[in-house]
Amino acid sequence: MEQFFSSLVQLFEITHLAFLFGGTLLGLIVGILPGMGGTSGLALVLPFVFTLEPSYALAMMIGVLAPTTTSDTFPAVLMGIPGTSGSQATVMDGFPLSKKGMAARALSAAFSSSLLGGVFGAIILSISIYYAIPIIMTFGFGEQFLLVVLALLMVGALTGENFLKGVTACCLGLIIGSIGTAPITGDSRYTFDTLYLIEGVPLVIVGLGLFAIPEIVGLLDSKGAIAKSLKNEKGWLIGIKDVCKNWFLVLRCSTLGCLVGALPGLGGTVVDWIAYSHLKQTVKDTSQLGKGDIRGVIAPESANNAKEGGALIPTLLFGIPGSGNKVLLLGGFVLIGIEPGLDMVTTNLDLTYLMIWSLALANILGAGICIGFASHISKITLVPYYILAPVMICLIFFAAFNVNRDWYDFIGLLTFGLIGIAFKNFGWSRPALLIGFFLSTKVELLSYQTHAVYGLSFISRPVSIILILLCLATILLLLRQKFDASYNSNLVKNKVQQICFVLFLLSLPVTMIWSIAHLDYRANLYPTSLSVIAIFLLTFILLIKIVDLRKIASLDNAVLRFANTHIFEIGARFNNQLYYYASFLGYLGMNFILGFPIASVLFINLFILFHDKKAFKISICISAVLIILLWFLSSLLTLQFPNGAIGLLIDMPWWLGGDLN
Amino acid sequence: MYKIFVLIILSFFSVSSTAYATVDLSGKTITWVVPFKEGGGTSRFARFIQPFLTKYLPGNPDIQVMHIPGGGAIKGSNYFQKNAEPDGTYLFGCSTSVIVNVATGNPLVEYNLSEYRPVLLLPQNTHWFTRTDLADGPHDLSKLLERDLVLYALKTPASADLFHIWVFDKLGIKGAKPIPGLSSSGGYQAFLRGEIHISSHGAANYKKKVIPEIEKGKVVDLMTLGIIGADGSVSRNPLAPNAPTFPEMYEKVTGEKLSGDDLEAFYSIGAAWSQASKSMLLPEGTPDEIVQVFRDAATKMVNDPEFKEKATKALGPFPLIIGEEAGEIVKKAAVFSDNTKEQLNTVLKNNKFTFRVR
Repeated sequence: MEQFFSSLVQLFEITHLAFLFGGTLLGLIVGILPGMGGTSGLALVLPFVFTLEPSYALAMMIGVLAPTTTSDTFPAVLMGIPGTSGSQATVMDGFPLSKKGMAARALSAAFSSSLLGGVFGAIILSISIYYAIPIIMTFGFGEQFLLVVLALLMVGALTGENFLKGVTACCLGLIIGSIGTAPITGDSRYTFDTLYLIEGVPLVIVGLGLFAIPEIVGLLDSKGAIAKSLKNEKGWLIGIKDVCKNWFLVLRCSTLGCLVGALPGLGGTVVDWIAYSHLKQTVKDTSQLGKGDIRGVIAPESANNAKEGGALIPTLLFGIPGSGNKVLLLGGFVLIGIEPGLDMVTTNLDLTYLMIWSLALANILGAGICIGFASHISKITLVPYYILAPVMICLIFFAAFNVNRDWYDFIGLLTFGLIGIAFKNFGWSRPALLIGFFLSTKVELLSYQTHAVYGLSFISRPVSIILILLCLATILLLLRQKFDASYNSNLVKNKVQQICFVLFLLSLPVTMIWSIAHLDYRANLYPTSLSVIAIFLLTFILLIKIVDLRKIASLDNAVLRFANTHIFEIGARFNNQLYYYASFLGYLGMNFILGFPIASVLFINLFILFHDKKAFKISICISAVLIILLWFLSSLLTLQFPNGAIGLLIDMPWWLGGDLN
Repeated sequence: MYKIFVLIILSFFSVSSTAYATVDLSGKTITWVVPFKEGGGTSRFARFIQPFLTKYLPGNPDIQVMHIPGGGAIKGSNYFQKNAEPDGTYLFGCSTSVIVNVATGNPLVEYNLSEYRPVLLLPQNTHWFTRTDLADGPHDLSKLLERDLVLYALKTPASADLFHIWVFDKLGIKGAKPIPGLSSSGGYQAFLRGEIHISSHGAANYKKKVIPEIEKGKVVDLMTLGIIGADGSVSRNPLAPNAPTFPEMYEKVTGEKLSGDDLEAFYSIGAAWSQASKSMLLPEGTPDEIVQVFRDAATKMVNDPEFKEKATKALGPFPLIIGEEAGEIVKKAAVFSDNTKEQLNTVLKNNKFTFRVR
């Protein structure tokens, strides 16, 4: 009780509120930019937060995280572009409503249900955290292992259109996650004797590369402003009334969101779809669903924000991320010295409460601002692509560099960016890869630790039995869900490229096996067995792709149809997007020659002026702001930006990449 | 001719002695390289000392802490080796893992740690404890010695946790089996769940997390590593004054004093693990007068009432080690004798690890 009130006092402390509010504002801005959802937003602030007091850093991180699922509703509703994966279902009815001229109604309904969902999620969390201690004590190595397995199985829900490709992506993620020092023996795996890979591939690099870069390339490819025009009318009151009328739906969907969010690996992408299908199953009149039914906005949005609260439970108690952006939040915790686990409900209980309530408060703040400034905020989406995209690229490069302050960060970022673009265009699941990547070390360690402590006897412990049943149920559900998808090979333009991409993916497991073959069996058993599975899966996919089963009528049976569903993706924009991607390589080259600050200014100016020669005023303003920002950060954090070859010839100031002192 | 020679020598001396008198760092910026992320233990250590050092160094120079994480602390350490000028404008924040990288002969190490000039060392100490039902009261090892399986946490055999293996081997705990991949706090949670049998913590966490459990009667002390003095004597840890040190426990269990190669290995391990847990060093080749200026400043800092007030909470209960003695400790910690290496490799082999100290 004492902690309950002490954290309440801390919550309303001015500095704390200021950081929370600042984070919320940043989260709103970031959430509205497509491709810059909570994950990218948190990745951007992560390098800065850990120089702060832990509780302020937390406020800031939660501030950034909470409203991104709120503000991403803008592009989703106004333009039909889901800003983050969490707003896909909102598009279903939100965009038709916009087209009908009821955008303001849809927006305000979405924001108020977001707000209610977020607050409800926090309330559930405040209560359930009391019962967490006994739960934690029953979660030994065996139970934790099964929980991670369950999380991996649930990745199946994120696998996209083709089940096989999704599982393979997850498997590849697990392999990438095993790069670095082997946790059991201390041997180096797949590091090629470099220092950079000793601690594994940095998570932020994988996240930014896989998610942010493909979205920016997509924006460039669309060659417009994000939105063409905005319609605003005074329908926001109707939207709030709609939510009041459907209060029971809000309650149901936020409970669902909180529960699903608490299960690891499932959060993010699926929660809103589950809420949407729940709506579909429970309402009588479904004729308007998908054509502009306001309930189709309310259901996913209320689930969406409640999930953030639920997803904190496994993140805080077990160190298992409940959703993609919790992966980064977890990274932030470790950086500021908060270790998830038992402490969070004992010695750090005040911090936990502070977190939960900060989340609720940030939700209220975020939704409130959104309703109030709806028409103003939406204008940022009118900024032409050639101004927005280069700035976003520089920001992402900067965020990437902050991880290890190493040139390899840039190379890693662009490598995963390329993989991300291919994954997006060729219908491979990026969340599956990311979650596999993050859980990899846990799978390896927990399987070993479980074996060392229990042998096989862990299966008979009561919680284990429940978890095993859950795993089996998940498999059944997934199989049922995926069987009824359709096939689309006729439209595919670049089959050869997609086949070659599979060959490219094959190179990872093959080289992995080759490079670690000489190590102790405890160091190579795990990656080798994964690689064998991956090679098997990839070869199978390759065969299906080459044969293109549908053409052979005699092979037409349910299982093969299932394997063949969406084995190709339309992917028509891939070549165009590669062309834009190439300009990032140019930017990297400029970095090598000129160093990061000068290269960034030059890149932004060149990019903007190349597309619009009259826009020099804008480009100069942006450059000035950028330079001041970089100078400020450099002196604040003792940051040395990557220095280019030019530094060898000219004596540069420290913050432009020159020598120290 | 002779007179001129004497004059030159004399002028040389007078110049150098004036240089000694006027080591002045005013207007300079000192860069303190920390090979870890912001927020870690070494980072906090540097940030805590930084303002005091500015206050007591001649000329009150600015000190900026520069974090270069990555590569298991090797990246930042190699950076320091390549870039640091020996003129008092560069400092190095070192920790046990930086030392262990050298002591175990990691081939990626390019830094010549044993030639660095230490200014001050911050000691730490390890506490071992077990569940009440696994011992006949505090400080009793007899039950554990008889058990078939005694599980304990081990980060990786390539980390400082390697020393746990040696300690349990010397005490003759036959059933001792490490569970790799567990940090000390992850290991402590597994210990509380009853999954592992011996657990350990540093002083700060011992005080915060373990003492409450001891008071509840769930956990009992086993021993501490002990505090090694300048003369080689080992005294008890003030946080757990009743708990025997490792040498005492060794004597109790085996009936013999810790001596010879074992004692030498203990001193090396103690230096790396305990005495030089965190340290502040100047680069190789820094002139004596500059080193002295930093040591003087550190001595003044330790006597600052504000420092005294805050240090116990921020840095732990153990007094800082300043002066020439510190240099000996870092050398002992960074350069293991062949005997010690062989001892470590034997216990690694007995535990079926492929990692070897080189």
